Amino acid sequence: MILDLHTHSIKSDDGRAKVENYCKWIRKKELPLDGFVLTEHRQFDATSDYRHLEDEYGLVILKASEVETDYGHVLVFGVNDDLVNSFDFAKVDNPLPMVLEAADRCGAFAAPCHPGRKNVGLFAHYENKGAVDGVHTVEVLNGGSIPGEDELSVEQAGQRGYAGFGGSDSHIVSRIGYCATDFDADIADIDDLVGALRTGNFRAVTYREQES
Amino acid sequence: MSEENPLDLEAIRSEWLGVEFDERTFEPEASRMIAWAEACGETDPRFLDENHPDFQAPPNMTTIFNSGRFLPEGFPNIGSGFGIDGGKTVECLAPIRAGDVLTGTATIADVFDKTGRSGTMVFIVQRMTFSNQSGEPVSVVDWKTIRGI
Repeated sequence: MILDLHTHSIKSDDGRAKVENYCKWIRKKELPLDGFVLTEHRQFDATSDYRHLEDEYGLVILKASEVETDYGHVLVFGVNDDLVNSFDFAKVDNPLPMVLEAADRCGAFAAPCHPGRKNVGLFAHYENKGAVDGVHTVEVLNGGSIPGEDELSVEQAGQRGYAGFGGSDSHIVSRIGYCATDFDADIADIDDLVGALRTGNFRAVTYREQES
Repeated sequence: MSEENPLDLEAIRSEWLGVEFDERTFEPEASRMIAWAEACGETDPRFLDENHPDFQAPPNMTTIFNSGRFLPEGFPNIGSGFGIDGGKTVECLAPIRAGDVLTGTATIADVFDKTGRSGTMVFIVQRMTFSNQSGEPVSVVDWKTIRGI
């Protein structure tokens, strides 16, 4: 089962994509995605209900968050009320160890995204401040990466034994599915996703067209 | 905030959000409405033909009606220079007709930070709320400016 684990809709301040338009694009372009996860910036969108779109387009649409920490950006899957009340999602300098601990405690799954990116990637901060215990999984393929960033992510994740997943980081509809994650398990809801991420039985994949 | 970023955005938000700091009037003329519509590539005769029974300004017309002042007097210095344009969003509430007299009121709608490849950025959102001569709200424009810190 293939899910794009990192997308933004108009709920994010810099997102330009409506969720239904993502669905239309996936079907129109016959992308090999079974669904996608909305990871809005610095918030958790608890109110939007996309079940009618899931039914209409036959896609799994899940909701998560992209929060900002002192070690870069982090995707958090399985956000619930306990986690929302554990720290301020809107802050840009949440301590990474605290976010990891809170996610574990609340039954969620936190993983740094675009770790090879300057300033907002985990490995740039490792160079300056050292590694953080508790990181086990990172986004190794990100659709918004510039040349060299994903290569660094793959290399560093491999050296450190981190599992790697993929996400497009799309903010406009035509970018969805650039990168995604191929799971062994079937995933129907956010609990399934958190469970599948914990197993480590997944692979980062890319469908980005090779630029000539 | 981190040690590298001593700005107290909560204090700035608390003091400045919602504060009205400027007001101006604008009188859209038919010729200017049509020129703007053409420049935007509009094809709908409602925006191009001043004899159309529903002739009105294009929905984004109010983005060109700016207050002369971007920030209130006394607003704290954030970063350096004027920053870069972070884009505008428009909410259309009612049609704007030729000859309307619009009153635009400027407020600070939001101040927030985020991090990216180029470091920490602060977004300042100036909101222009437009009403017509009847006091009817017609448009709201949020204009983001990005400043690096």
